[in-house]
Amino acid sequence: MRALEMRDVKFRYKGSEKRALDGVTLDVEQGEFVTILGANGSGKSTICLLSNGLIPHAISGDLEGTVEVFGKDVRTVSVADLSTKVGVVFQEPESQLFCMSVEEEVAFGPENLAVPRDEIIKRVEWALDLVDLKGFNDRSPFNLSGGQKQRVAIAAALSMKPDMLLLDEPAYALDPVGRIELYSVLRSLKEKYGLTVVLAERDAEDAVAFSDRLVLMKDGVIVRSGLPREVLRDPHVLRSAGVAPPQLTELASMMNSRLRTTDLSFLNVDEAEIAIVRNVLNPGGVGRP
Amino acid sequence: MTGFTDLYTEGDTFLHRMDPRVKIAAVVLLSFLAFVLTELRYLIILLAFIFLLLLMARARLTKTVFALKFVLRLMLLIAILWPFFDRSGTPVIVSMGPINITEPAIWRGATSAVRVGCLAAVWYILMFTTSQRDLVLALVRMGLRFDYGLTVAITLRFFPTFVSIIDSITDAQKARGLEFERGNIVKRSRNYVAVLVPAIVTALRTSDALSLALQSRAYGARTDRTYVRELHMRATDYAALAIFVALLVVPLAARHVFSVSV
Amino acid sequence: MIPRPDSSSHDERIISVNGVKFSYDGCVPALAGVTLNLKRGEYVAIVGGNGSGKTTLAKMLNGLLKPASGTVTVRGKSTLDQSVAELARYVGYAFQNPDHQLFCSTVDDEVRFGPHNLGYKGDDLSKKVGRALETMRLTQLKDKPPLSLTLGQRRRISIASVIAMDSEVLIFDEPTTGLDTQETDDLMSSIEGLNREGRTIVLITHDMRLVAKHAKRVVVMSRGRIVLDTDPRGAFSDLDLLRASSMLPPPVVILAQRLKKYGLSGEALSPEELLYLVFRGKGGIR
Repeated sequence: MRALEMRDVKFRYKGSEKRALDGVTLDVEQGEFVTILGANGSGKSTICLLSNGLIPHAISGDLEGTVEVFGKDVRTVSVADLSTKVGVVFQEPESQLFCMSVEEEVAFGPENLAVPRDEIIKRVEWALDLVDLKGFNDRSPFNLSGGQKQRVAIAAALSMKPDMLLLDEPAYALDPVGRIELYSVLRSLKEKYGLTVVLAERDAEDAVAFSDRLVLMKDGVIVRSGLPREVLRDPHVLRSAGVAPPQLTELASMMNSRLRTTDLSFLNVDEAEIAIVRNVLNPGGVGRP
Repeated sequence: MTGFTDLYTEGDTFLHRMDPRVKIAAVVLLSFLAFVLTELRYLIILLAFIFLLLLMARARLTKTVFALKFVLRLMLLIAILWPFFDRSGTPVIVSMGPINITEPAIWRGATSAVRVGCLAAVWYILMFTTSQRDLVLALVRMGLRFDYGLTVAITLRFFPTFVSIIDSITDAQKARGLEFERGNIVKRSRNYVAVLVPAIVTALRTSDALSLALQSRAYGARTDRTYVRELHMRATDYAALAIFVALLVVPLAARHVFSVSV
Repeated sequence: MIPRPDSSSHDERIISVNGVKFSYDGCVPALAGVTLNLKRGEYVAIVGGNGSGKTTLAKMLNGLLKPASGTVTVRGKSTLDQSVAELARYVGYAFQNPDHQLFCSTVDDEVRFGPHNLGYKGDDLSKKVGRALETMRLTQLKDKPPLSLTLGQRRRISIASVIAMDSEVLIFDEPTTGLDTQETDDLMSSIEGLNREGRTIVLITHDMRLVAKHAKRVVVMSRGRIVLDTDPRGAFSDLDLLRASSMLPPPVVILAQRLKKYGLSGEALSPEELLYLVFRGKGGIR
């Protein structure tokens, strides 16, 4: 059973002329970490809203095609029922935290589902530990940093014990430190917990490091899907989709044309260093100095 | 503005440890008591009792002073104005045209002033020693529907956020040359539109986003729900409640059963 | 050695910040003694993490905040003696969130608001508004309601409404948040255009790629102090300092540092520069 299965999905928001999704077919397997890259209006947020049923239940529009989450059709299952399978984290920390303490915020979801009290207390500790906010129970969300707020939002989604987590530009409002904290939490969620994660991003630099798959979207359709290395190979394709190519991708592309090769690609500084040494500084040489 | 939300000071006094429901009940009972008592001397004793509790709340000095000043000024205002409006009784002290100040009226004014002082001061005891979280929890436990409790909680939680958003909007408009102090009524109203519209739009956007977040966490899924935070009445809480009830019952009995003037 | 001409002539100084201290709550210093001089026509990036004081410093420049001690001088006069509205004539501030500003029924009215408040009228006013709309590519949209447009368009409107006030100094607070590549490129090139016209640009950001690409002077702040004030090359050569100030150096900068151990000396601020560095071999500074 797939975590997410979308078949030829078309969607137009009520009152909008253009379709937000114009024929999207997408599969996400359980345990995968998928990053959806796209500019504003590419449809990536719409996919997040579809996965837990907010579209069509809370947000109106014309929906065609099928969207199934762990085998359940989002059209027929309620948002509340889907919430135990799918958690969503939105981009503004301010408007998704509404309780007066971190503990209440994280307990809110399971409380709504009448989960037994002892179980909720355990889940709160577990979720706070996963996002590296142990001991923050009595803190007021208002006084936390942006990065901490987003981690509380993630914990609040995790306490529902979902099998999949979707995050819509979670690092939007964060400074570099907050970004690093956030992505390291996401990485550990994948590695330690095996959670299926779908991340919608406008910026390619950060998430590529540990994504299993990259999906590039433009104007409501998927234009590329595959391994990060493959999708990031061509800066032109990225730019035409409104996504800034990572610096190392541009570098690899430039080096390819300079050296008349086609296979150079770097996902991080280490790879770039090795490739430069091997191909330019020390061609034919053995090993690194 | 912040004076309103910042009344709570953390502490470990017996008042802080008291169950918030008992504190709410105390506010109600003592307010009733202030109306039941009619003799000035008993009202003064009640006021002294309330002020004593206030001091035992050990709130920050500035806040306590602020609260006391407010209450005393209110009382003074009432005591001074009363005889100008209540002109009946003898002996008359001053009589000049419409002004007819009588001795009984002065006493009645003082009595009302002390009564209002009690009513005002008793709230500060609650606010100084109870966090917003506990207040909402107490109200819900006492029967307020959870939906309303959540509304109150969200309002309290977002109050400081919106204060800072309004500051930010005001800054942005000042930086566009808007001067709030200058101009006639018409101009000044236009100025406030420049702050109100963005504030309202932001509030609407935030509430839209909040509603999506609430739904994503199964709010409203069932009619029953679990409450992690619990309130437990201890022996001391029952004792305190009994004292507050007695404070009200004794004078009532004295008046209606024993015909003692209170 | 040819002695360099004295480039710090006082006529050129447009804003002076001298030993400024400030605290929001009376306990934690937001600015712990900051001295900074801005000259006419400069393009300065002020960078730092949350809590570094960069926004506090920026608000000192247009009088929104007044120093608790020290002075801020704009055009020769202390900001203590000038109101924000008076200073708005010389120092424009484009805030980060356009939704905290927009309130008019058309884009044109919105852009008109600022200069109108400053007392511009008639033809003069229309010209300023027209030019601002054109610079930000909004002329086609001028009769539309601002609140119905996209974030990128609303950001452009809020910037246009500040540019229309025709101030010598323009402060931009994180102007590219939420914009895609094309919008970012367009915006940054509009800002460069304004700099070429002779305006002084102050860019507050934590995106180091932007800084590497556009700024001519970088002021790094950390915990209420300026820790580095130099050109981008100089700023990026001290990676430890950047990290300690909560800033992330772009990947090519880190790569250039790594390549030093193979004998490639020089800094690279962009992929092009790194390429040049690599294929040149020794010494890559242009």
